[in-house]
Amino acid sequence: MMKHRIRFTINGEVREMEVKSNQRLLDLIRNDLDLTGTKEGCAGGECGACTVLVDGKAINSCLMLAVEADGKEILTIEGLAEGMVLDPIQESFVEHGALQCGFCIPGMIMSAKALLKKNPHPSEMEIREAISGNLCRCTGYEKIIEAILNVTQKQA
Amino acid sequence: MHQFMYVKPKDITEAVRILAENGEKVRVLAGGTDLIVRMVDKIWKPEVVIDIKGLTGLSGIREIDNYGVAIGAATPLNEIIGHPLIQQHFAVLAEGAHEIGSCQIRNRATLGGNLCNASPLADTAPALLVLDAVAVVQGEEERLIPMTEFFAGPGKTILARGELLKEIRIPYLPTESKGIYYKHARTKAVDLASVGVAVLALKPGEIRIALGAVAPTPVRAKKAEAFLSGKEITTGVIKEAVALVQEEVSPITDIRATEEYRREIIAVLVRRGLYEIQKFLRGE
Ligand SMILES: Cc1cc2nc3c(=O)[nH]c(=O)nc-3n(C[C@H](O)[C@H](O)[C@H](O)COP(=O)(O)OP(=O)(O)OC[C@H]3O[C@@H](n4cnc5c(N)ncnc54)[C@H](O)[C@@H]3O)c2cc1C
Ligand code: FES
Ligand code: FES
Repeated sequence: MMKHRIRFTINGEVREMEVKSNQRLLDLIRNDLDLTGTKEGCAGGECGACTVLVDGKAINSCLMLAVEADGKEILTIEGLAEGMVLDPIQESFVEHGALQCGFCIPGMIMSAKALLKKNPHPSEMEIREAISGNLCRCTGYEKIIEAILNVTQKQA
Repeated sequence: MHQFMYVKPKDITEAVRILAENGEKVRVLAGGTDLIVRMVDKIWKPEVVIDIKGLTGLSGIREIDNYGVAIGAATPLNEIIGHPLIQQHFAVLAEGAHEIGSCQIRNRATLGGNLCNASPLADTAPALLVLDAVAVVQGEEERLIPMTEFFAGPGKTILARGELLKEIRIPYLPTESKGIYYKHARTKAVDLASVGVAVLALKPGEIRIALGAVAPTPVRAKKAEAFLSGKEITTGVIKEAVALVQEEVSPITDIRATEEYRREIIAVLVRRGLYEIQKFLRGE
């Protein structure tokens, strides 16, 4: 069995597709579904640029096979905004200028999304912990942390 | 990645049969955080990959009456860390598991994967060693192996062809206890241990010590434990215990640390652990 038919939900849409056993979830998302917001940095679980949510949990899509997505619900950065209305996390990143080159940002935002789903009012330490698997080579993290903290304060 | 056959068996019996039939050609896939990295790097090229996630009897945490707790081998680390039974009785295991990788990694990585990968630095191993955990191995038959005998060398366990790790059982500790895990690494997050030390004390005076990244497998420091047993923990006693631990380890030089540096860190962490234990045993 080198090919598999899988059925999954991505950004709210049910899809049925044929995938190869040696394809990663990241390849499925970027190459087959053309959702290129999810990035590939290290391909080894170290950088977090490929972070997506699977059944509400943040995972590295470079370390999951596409066939393992069968029956799962996947959320990528493209699934956050509703039409022209940004997700409050995206809004806050923009407001705080919490980005420079932007390469790490989809992953950062997905990690923040997973955190806020579980814990709507995290402390600064909890935020640092939640994004500890996301590398940023530009910002120095401070503005990213402020941006995430601020989402929660607004909702409070 | 190379081409391989992906199989999702319907139960443990089928998984074990596929493992027995394919021998060297097959690899178990749990969280994949070791396996997929090695397949991408072309270090491992299994012809068959067998996905054991979600199989009944391999996931989840349950209490065993009058004994303790059983953790399914394919249970993700984050589930273990947050579980009330683990938090309440075996916090040292939660500490060890929490040291692994990042949030994303721990959502996928499993306890069984960490143990079967058999890295000398596996962060859950020292805690399981001091907790006297037992591995339940499933082949044609089931066998119980104490964690102290589970590791056979770097990357090697005692699992034979046609066997998989089914669950880990941890007996309740008989008296009031305190366990601590220290990991020394180059960076705070997402780095592998240069040294890992678990210390566990049971009132009135039993002390257990286990270490990772200091020998070909994670190890218990039995000589130091025997020396410490029942003794009042004084500065002098701690010094002697640290010297005994040094006799029981054989650290090497690698990309993370030199042998000499590892020996320094071993001394620092064991000492730190024993001072914490001293406070606990004195009721401070
Ligand atoms: C970025 C990154 C950081 C990491 N940081 C750490 C760290 O800090 N500390 C640490 O200890 N580890 C670390 N690891 C290694 C890895 O995440 C852990 O060892 C993890 O627990 C492996 O579990 P898994 O379920 O992903 O294993 P898998 O990759 O699925 O499997 C690992 C090995 O065990 C075998 N296996 C798995 N389950 C079973 C079973 N039930 N029976 C028989 N064989 C089985 C597989 O065939 C394979 O050979 C890190 C990895 C990455 C990518
Ligand atoms: S690309 Fe997946 S963690 Fe870096
Ligand atoms: S903004 Fe450039 S890597 Fe984070």
